[in-house]
Amino acid sequence: MSTFAVKDVKAIVSKAAAAMVELEQELNAADAKLGDGDTGGMLARVISAIDTAAAASDEDVGACFSAYAKAAAVATGSSLGTLFATALMTFAKSTKGQEAVPLSELAPLLAKARDAMMARGGATLGDKTVLDAIDAVARALEGVGDPQEAKRLAVEATQAALLEFRGRPNKIGRARMFADQTIGLDDPGMLAFAELCKAVA
Amino acid sequence: MKKLMNAPGNFVDEALDGLTMANPSIVRDGENGRVIRRAEGARKGKVGIASGGGSGHLPLFTGYVGQGLLDTCSIGNVFEGPNVGSCMDAIKLADGGRGVLRLYGNYGGDRMNFDMAGEMLEDEIRTTTVLGTDDIASASPEESAKRRGVAGIVYAYKIAGAKAETGADLDEVTATAAKAVAATRTIGVALAPCQVPGSAKPTFTLGENEIEMGMGIHGEPGIWRNTLTSADEIADEMLDRLLAEAPQNAGSEVSILVNGLGATPLEELFILYRHASRKLAAADLTIVQPLVGNFVTSMEMAGASISLCFLDEELKSLLAAPAYCPFWRVG
Repeated sequence: MSTFAVKDVKAIVSKAAAAMVELEQELNAADAKLGDGDTGGMLARVISAIDTAAAASDEDVGACFSAYAKAAAVATGSSLGTLFATALMTFAKSTKGQEAVPLSELAPLLAKARDAMMARGGATLGDKTVLDAIDAVARALEGVGDPQEAKRLAVEATQAALLEFRGRPNKIGRARMFADQTIGLDDPGMLAFAELCKAVA
Repeated sequence: MKKLMNAPGNFVDEALDGLTMANPSIVRDGENGRVIRRAEGARKGKVGIASGGGSGHLPLFTGYVGQGLLDTCSIGNVFEGPNVGSCMDAIKLADGGRGVLRLYGNYGGDRMNFDMAGEMLEDEIRTTTVLGTDDIASASPEESAKRRGVAGIVYAYKIAGAKAETGADLDEVTATAAKAVAATRTIGVALAPCQVPGSAKPTFTLGENEIEMGMGIHGEPGIWRNTLTSADEIADEMLDRLLAEAPQNAGSEVSILVNGLGATPLEELFILYRHASRKLAAADLTIVQPLVGNFVTSMEMAGASISLCFLDEELKSLLAAPAYCPFWRVG
């Protein structure tokens, strides 16, 4: 059974931080069509902040996620950023004290994070937000313990979610006011999650 | 878009430094320096009023900290809500022992962070929430609770601030703030975009001769986009839309705020006001305490918003009560 430890989490975050250099303006542009155009800049700053956050322990995965959650919460107060911090805090609570987390735990972890983000932000599945992409990955990774397979399935699931929701309207936030015009566009949060999955896979 | 700045990452903190250095009545505070509070601190026995929101809208939000207005304000990065820690600091620093009203615009990030901050402090400080929901273009009348707070929130600040200064308790201040929000309607138009510091492109684009009706204060898309027409025609449509949504119990007195979004000359705002004042008179409405100027901006966005606050005797007298902040003096 494959597991992940603090060093694996750190490596993935560093990869994501490096990927944001390229993704920042693309995500800003996607957000400008639906919102205020700063999703890329905000995520670049938040991921860079967590990449440099000092974890309390190199052995405790939960402590690492906890340090990341705090760093994310300090770096932004935007809705997507606060939801991201909420997800990291959920990971932290669930992996507290664990030196190696079975990879098969990733799907239930993502499902818990999805539920915590729904409770915090008030969106539901089907609204065309980052939640729909997270939900797709949580479902795709159920019972998966092989790292390569997990990466492949995560990328597939997020790309499929983008494709599926591109033809549907945004149902929450300001974008729901011109919902018909959002058909054909990607939700910036969902796009960010999909692009980051691709970048770290 | 050109900006006078040093590094984009220092934009907010350097602006806050300058704001407080130029105005000794307010100071920076909080763990990350992202709270502006009255220099003299919270007054014991007075209900505190804390607000907050993203940078890029001065005089909103931090500019309205002062006598008869806000006690504290947490501030985020440009167009981003303040973080949880700053919201907690703003609530704590506003508390004079009689509780704190959290009064802010109805944006997702602000709401999540103020909610989390309130939950974390609930054993120490009693708090209530009133959300500004004056932007009629941001949701239909059936979904008015989902509307965003824009320039009209200034009326809620002024009226709730005056009520708190009378020694009223938290429930009374909260009810009065909610009444001010319920009495206020706003709509904006944009003529040219704004750009977030560090972003390579403007938040949106508008053709040289285009105007967008109902655009949000971060450049969120509005109701329609078309060729720019005369100021009178634009004011006509804005007021028609606002008056169509007048509260059912509206009386005959109204305050009007013609607000510049950052890059529109005051002359143009007065041209809008000229027509608006005639139109309100024709609708048998008497203007009380008109406001024309830059009260809630969106960086260098060109355009304007018009807010109407329908007054009863209580709101009228609270609006007229003395108040002072770096950008506004009443009485």
